[in-house]
Amino acid sequence: MTAVDGISFEIDRGEIVGIVGESGSGKTMTALSLLRLIPEPGRITGGRILYGEKDIAQMTDEEIREFRGNEVAMIFQDPMTSLNPVLRVGFQVEEAMAAHARFTRQQSRDRVLPMLQRVRIPAAKERVRDYPHQFSGGMRQRAMIAMGVSNEPSLLIADEPTTALDVTVQASIIELLRDLSRELRASVILITHNMALVASLCNRVIVMYAGRIVEEGPTRAIFKNPQHPYTWSLLRSMPRVDEVEKERLISIKGLPPDLGRMPPGCKFHPRCKFKVDRCLTEEPPLGEVDPGQLARCWVLMKNIQNPEAEAQR
Amino acid sequence: MRGTLLYIGQRLVLIAITTVLVSSIVFVLLHQIPGNAFLNETRTSPESLAADLRHYGLDKPLGTQYVNWVSGVLHGNLGESLVNRGVMITPLLVREASVSATVGFFALLVTVGLGLILGVIAALRQNTWADYVASSAAVVGYSVPSFVIGIFFLLIFGHYFFEWTQGTVFYNVGWGDWTQIPVPAIALGLPYASYVARLTRASMLETIRTDYVRTAWAKGLKARIVVLRHALRNALIPVVTILGPLITGIITGSVVIENIFGIPGLGKEFVTSILARDYNIVIGVFTFYAALVGLANLTVDVIYPALDPRIRY
Ligand SMILES: Nc1ncnc2c1ncn2[C@@H]1O[C@H](COP(=O)(O)OP(=O)(O)OP(=O)(O)O)[C@@H](O)[C@H]1O
Ligand code: SF4
Ligand SMILES: [Mg+2]
Repeated sequence: MTAVDGISFEIDRGEIVGIVGESGSGKTMTALSLLRLIPEPGRITGGRILYGEKDIAQMTDEEIREFRGNEVAMIFQDPMTSLNPVLRVGFQVEEAMAAHARFTRQQSRDRVLPMLQRVRIPAAKERVRDYPHQFSGGMRQRAMIAMGVSNEPSLLIADEPTTALDVTVQASIIELLRDLSRELRASVILITHNMALVASLCNRVIVMYAGRIVEEGPTRAIFKNPQHPYTWSLLRSMPRVDEVEKERLISIKGLPPDLGRMPPGCKFHPRCKFKVDRCLTEEPPLGEVDPGQLARCWVLMKNIQNPEAEAQR
Repeated sequence: MRGTLLYIGQRLVLIAITTVLVSSIVFVLLHQIPGNAFLNETRTSPESLAADLRHYGLDKPLGTQYVNWVSGVLHGNLGESLVNRGVMITPLLVREASVSATVGFFALLVTVGLGLILGVIAALRQNTWADYVASSAAVVGYSVPSFVIGIFFLLIFGHYFFEWTQGTVFYNVGWGDWTQIPVPAIALGLPYASYVARLTRASMLETIRTDYVRTAWAKGLKARIVVLRHALRNALIPVVTILGPLITGIITGSVVIENIFGIPGLGKEFVTSILARDYNIVIGVFTFYAALVGLANLTVDVIYPALDPRIRY
């Protein structure tokens, strides 16, 4: 079974890209495969995972180890379970730096406190030696972020970094992520269900469905001028500003396809109102529908001069 | 720190109470058994019997005997051997307890060391031949009681080794030489090692799938550090909880093993004194065992918070 297939996107230095899509659409899998951390019994079958010039799938164990947390760092969804309960928070940050050649052992030690201060942990000095259970959820996520940015990675992946947190601290965590990415000139991939968050934070948006990118483009374009039928429904299901804010309000008629019983043709066709015959048999390629905006849909392809050339992408 | 000391103090008081209580029960029960150490075929005159009874205070009412005995125990005096007049029980048992403790300590090393190594290997190589070998060995080891292993070892090391090596390498039963430690220690520790291995395997399989171990990989830590510092450290916590009952098991097991291997420890004394109806020593051995089990469990409970910072006294 293929959970994630043929994902390819560009991200500029310092840019924040949002990945959205229903549960199970493969957002986390995409992020984890960038670090070659697919959980058992998952495997990377065939093909390449390219990050810049580097093929992650071909790296030796030592190369991938040096790559993880150093060039690409990841922040996970649940800060309550993502920190080791038996090690001091400060030590866990130090260890992230000590693992890589960028800083010496002494530098790693000296940088712990500044890092915790930088992620705005109150009274950081007193709390370096605390254990995770002595931290609140928000503070734990800050510690995770400190760990993530401690090696000044070029890319930071945040997988639903605020979903597990209290609404009151969500905004400050997001603000922190934005500020840090600016200061460190690091790119950020923000995986989220929260379209409002995407609208306010991301430069570009990637919409995923059934392990594929179905639409991609600048945030403005995606929100003002969504092309793919799935993106439409995604935006329509977005909570309005005047409603009480809830993260997982996305609900679209029908269910996302089961991995084992992936429909032929366009993976969205069982739920699509606009399907044509071709949708049932042939999967559409990702084609440019507007300058800088790509979508995977046959109906939209009609407007494109040369769909075959686009299909090469 | 002060909390810990207070806790230890409280526990020591409880251990003292339990010890006196356990030996009181033994005291009362033993006095219900008809006959005594002086009643045997060699004794002829009722006068000398009366003299013996007077010497040991056995002519006094049971209540008075009990009060005298308890006040003796509280002063660390377990009285005098009934069979060998003039032999004081406390120094005798202290000497024997140190022998038992030596065997027990090495048995514990075998138990924990072997158990952890096998458990970790089985977990890391889950569902490979290494796992199957380790797991089956654990089942066999667990189902064979230590006295069977003891006799088996005696046969191999005491007899066959002698023949195979034409008398150069062999194990001689008894005590006094360090080379006499490993064989009984392994026989005593092996069944419990299987138990530790099974528990470690299950516990490791759980921790290597946790979010914080995924975080550790994502940080780019070396595999050795992820396994030992992050997975094993946490996997040890449930293993330590069974250390208490385990030590109790080793203490009971030592009664059999010491008799098989002719080791002059508490366990051997226990059987000898019962057969000789030297009830003063029997009560003394029980008193020692009660205190030992209590102290062993206390030691485990004191180690526990060092392993899991979420626990504090
Ligand atoms: N441990 C696993 N074992 C087997 N399949 C898995 C596992 N984790 C995820 N999958 C499958 O891989 C696909 C992609 O899942 P993924 O976790 O990437 O989705 P997601 O978009 O991150 O969803 P969510 O929004 O719920 O986090 C899903 O169909 C899921 O069923
Ligand atoms: S390709 Fe067809 S089924 Fe798929 S989204 Fe477009 S119109 Fe709908
Ligand atoms: Mg996810």
